[in-house]
Amino acid sequence: MITVCIIYPFPLNIQEKCSYSNIGDFMNDSLKELLSELKQTFADSADLTVRELSLRSDTGLEAAVVTMEGMCDKEQLGQTVLTPLLSFDFGRDSGEEAADAVLHSVLASSDIIEFSDEQQLISFITSGFAALVIDGCARGFAIGVQGFAFRSVSEPESEVVQRGSREGFTEPLRVNMSMLRRRIKSPDLVFEQMTVGSDSQTQLMLCYLQNKASPALLDTLRKRLSECDLETVLASGYLSDYLEDPGTSRLFSGVGISERPDTVCGKLTEGRIAVIVDGTPAVITIPHLFVEEFQGVDDYSNRTYYAAFIRVLKYIAFFASVFLPGLYTALAQFHPEYFPTWILIQTSEALSKTPLPVTLEVLMMTFVYEVMKEAGLRIPKSLGHAVSIVGALVIGESAVNAGIISASTLMVVATAAICSYVTSALYPPIMTLRFVFIIAGGLLGLWGIVLVTAVVIISMCAKTSLGVPYMSSLAPFSLRSMRDVFIRAGWKRLSDRTINVRNFPETEVR
Amino acid sequence: MQTKVAFSAKRLLLTLLLCSCSVILLQSFDLSPRAGFLFHLICIAVGLAVSFLFFIPSVVIRVRTGFDFPTLVHRESPRLSPFIAVFYGAYFVYTAVFFLLPYTDMFCKKYFPETSPCFVAALLLISCVYAAAKGTNVITRFGIFLFVFALIANVLMMGGSVSSLSFGSGVVLNGTADELFRGALYFVTPAFIAVIFGFLSGFTKNFRLRQVVLTLILTGVKYAAIMFFVCFALGAYAYRQEYQTFVLSRVAHFGIYSGIESVYLALTTMSVFLIVSLFLCCVGKSVGQSGVLKHIICFAAVIFTLHTCAVYLRPVSELLTDTAVMVGFTFIAAVVVPCAYLIFGRVRLDKKAVGA
Amino acid sequence: MIKKLSALSLILITLALVGCKDSRRIENAAVIENVSVDRGGEGILYTFYLLGSGDKPRAVSVPAASFEEACALAEEAYIPNLSLAKLELLMLSEDVYREVMRTDVEYISTQSSFSPIAYVTLCDRETIRSVEKDSEVQRLIERQLVLLKKNNPSVCVDYLSIFNNLERKGEEGFYVAQISSKKELKVSEMHIYSKNIPK
Repeated sequence: MITVCIIYPFPLNIQEKCSYSNIGDFMNDSLKELLSELKQTFADSADLTVRELSLRSDTGLEAAVVTMEGMCDKEQLGQTVLTPLLSFDFGRDSGEEAADAVLHSVLASSDIIEFSDEQQLISFITSGFAALVIDGCARGFAIGVQGFAFRSVSEPESEVVQRGSREGFTEPLRVNMSMLRRRIKSPDLVFEQMTVGSDSQTQLMLCYLQNKASPALLDTLRKRLSECDLETVLASGYLSDYLEDPGTSRLFSGVGISERPDTVCGKLTEGRIAVIVDGTPAVITIPHLFVEEFQGVDDYSNRTYYAAFIRVLKYIAFFASVFLPGLYTALAQFHPEYFPTWILIQTSEALSKTPLPVTLEVLMMTFVYEVMKEAGLRIPKSLGHAVSIVGALVIGESAVNAGIISASTLMVVATAAICSYVTSALYPPIMTLRFVFIIAGGLLGLWGIVLVTAVVIISMCAKTSLGVPYMSSLAPFSLRSMRDVFIRAGWKRLSDRTINVRNFPETEVR
Repeated sequence: MQTKVAFSAKRLLLTLLLCSCSVILLQSFDLSPRAGFLFHLICIAVGLAVSFLFFIPSVVIRVRTGFDFPTLVHRESPRLSPFIAVFYGAYFVYTAVFFLLPYTDMFCKKYFPETSPCFVAALLLISCVYAAAKGTNVITRFGIFLFVFALIANVLMMGGSVSSLSFGSGVVLNGTADELFRGALYFVTPAFIAVIFGFLSGFTKNFRLRQVVLTLILTGVKYAAIMFFVCFALGAYAYRQEYQTFVLSRVAHFGIYSGIESVYLALTTMSVFLIVSLFLCCVGKSVGQSGVLKHIICFAAVIFTLHTCAVYLRPVSELLTDTAVMVGFTFIAAVVVPCAYLIFGRVRLDKKAVGA
Repeated sequence: MIKKLSALSLILITLALVGCKDSRRIENAAVIENVSVDRGGEGILYTFYLLGSGDKPRAVSVPAASFEEACALAEEAYIPNLSLAKLELLMLSEDVYREVMRTDVEYISTQSSFSPIAYVTLCDRETIRSVEKDSEVQRLIERQLVLLKKNNPSVCVDYLSIFNNLERKGEEGFYVAQISSKKELKVSEMHIYSKNIPK
């Protein structure tokens, strides 16, 4: 991973009022009192850096530059702030006059914002600005000298494409914004800033195309975000719960996540709204529909027939990953006659040699697979190979040879596991449903599976994402949008009539 | 949840089409075996023509006032509302049991002989309560998926039976007037969808009369297709067992691949789930909008109790599964009560007047 | 959430306790693929061939007066988890078919677990004996029946058509398939007269 240090080119425009206890208006305080209050607020935190300066003047002017360690580019701070300040002769200027001189004649930075209370000061310094306060002056200056190390722009590992951009979002908000702006140069692209998290004061951007996004949807989204009462927001996932429509099932997500700027741009053009959260490369897109899980960036670069084939493949893989272990359990436990004869012979012989009933066997294998998957994700890469060998040889082949599990069960569980990665964003519901269907199939046979399927479909049909039915395109059925569901129509047809998300039938908020 | 969003009337009628088509899945044909296929076709045509007449009062109310029947009663004559609610509550409970009983019976006879029908009914009703609580709109969306599945299932059942077709007998027009009456009565059973339409059409928009006609025609086509395969693929064998459509699915096969009765089980289960959920929605609507879930649970409990009584008491079961009683009750619910209300209640069928 | 979880666990426990009891576990099920009916000793011998992958079929012979009796006896005394859902072939010996055909077909037609599309053929004794020795013979017979049906659709090779022909009134008889060991298990048509099959 490459780490680089950059200077932020954009001015931060902090509009929100932060609320900290024991913080007051610093205009009335002397510099010493202000600094001591600040240190008290931060409880003498080690990264709070205060550089006290005695300026060249006849009146003995004092000033201080407050920064957070590691958030500023020290070289730039020296060149644009400290050197000019210390070399400038303020003569007989009072605090207010000195402040004017600093603003107009001293500081070499292009990015200077005035502030007037301590809450703003804290917001600025925690965002990487250098805050300059002068004794006897009721104003302060936030100087844009941000510069900290972060991960460079790279291809997201979870959304790899064959043809298309290799850029993925990274952690800093501004870099992510620039990636979207570079792709959509229209003035209709709007970034609207908000702050969430009473402690973390995490900045986020609502990003939308003002000629496409529905104002009503935007209002709803703003309202939901403002109702977020979390103290700390460290990732976009924290906000998902607040963005989901109330009273709807949480099994499937009504909030889309993408790490690819091209994907997000595509969604913006369909009237969706993106929420970029500072410090996370996962950008939220909302409203999010079920059919979107099966659409990939590659579909739009490939030939239409191939894209259609891949789409259908994805749907089949989704159904296989959800139903296969449950169906196998139901058939083996209750309806063996539905197996074709040749499979019946093999399966029957294999299962007769194992000690556990088929339901427990499938449940156990699925559970073991989940454990291995989780271990594989968390384990250091150097050990990953060893885990694969243990998984494949010990749990797989040896267990079959020892007669602990049957080969057919292993094959079914493995096939379902592989299929579940075709639509990796749907993995959580797939995993949950897989277990539910195994239990339903094991207890009630095919009937149990049918009943649970009916309930799951009802729950999916009842779900909405920001007022748009989650199953839109399918139920409510929309023939117009079908050209980008199971198949992907040619670009000539797609570009002619892009379907705006607010135009889906039965959308509550338009 | 989208409980207040109006949805297309087409979708409601598609769901009603599924309901009417699913009747045949659970019927044990007590038609005359000596009557030929053509005779059955005439019975179907007569039966569905009568079913169309059942629709007229609800359609008149929907087209001229823009409301469904319970809403109209609630707005225009609140004093009558409790009586109407009691009557229709009884009707929907009866009809739900009418479909639940053959389903649990078929389930226990054909698939799981040792399982208690009450257990099957209880689980199904719990699922239906969940669906009904989500509202009519959501149930009709489920209907879209069921429609696709029903298409596949029917293609499998009929396509798999093509190899068994034999036209040795059946293309005759045997039958007496009495058989025609009984046959037509038998095919009037799907008319219960007229009552559902009368209750739920208020949620819909863009209603056209042709949608009703098309629904009934498609029901007729489905009936005719099933009767065709029962007559020519199963022949006399059809009448050896109950639930002829099950037998058809048992016979259907593609080379060495059979087991299409599993698809039949799935289709029947989902269809009964759909019908009972719609009935529970209607019950909720007839009783009133507030506290719908509470009402739905209460009525589900009543349905379960009645079903349990019918399982253990044969006379109750006979009464509850009698086609003539069902058709009679439907006639009162779909035609007599709405017409009586319209005629004697002197309701002004003027959209503006009602709206004002 | 806690309420939902408790409700879910309650449902699961209830299901586990009172769930469907009709589990026919694949590993325990004795799935019958073919049945032959022949004269054995004083009466009729019904031989059930279990589904298996070996060269020699696993067979259980039950003496009984009818198929119904044979099934009941087999399930009670010989094969506890007897499953006839995958019955593919019923081989009736030429010596006994007149005695058993009507009652057996009648019985099978009332049972929903039997597949009405199972093949039915008349065989000579040698063929039935060779079936007992080699699993491949059963498959060969089925293949021949498929061929016969393809070449001559009017021949009744399955239960469904035989039942319907037996039920049909005013007809003299119909054609069924006959397997003869003399012709190296070649199948031919045989006309049987309904009147010769006693009710």
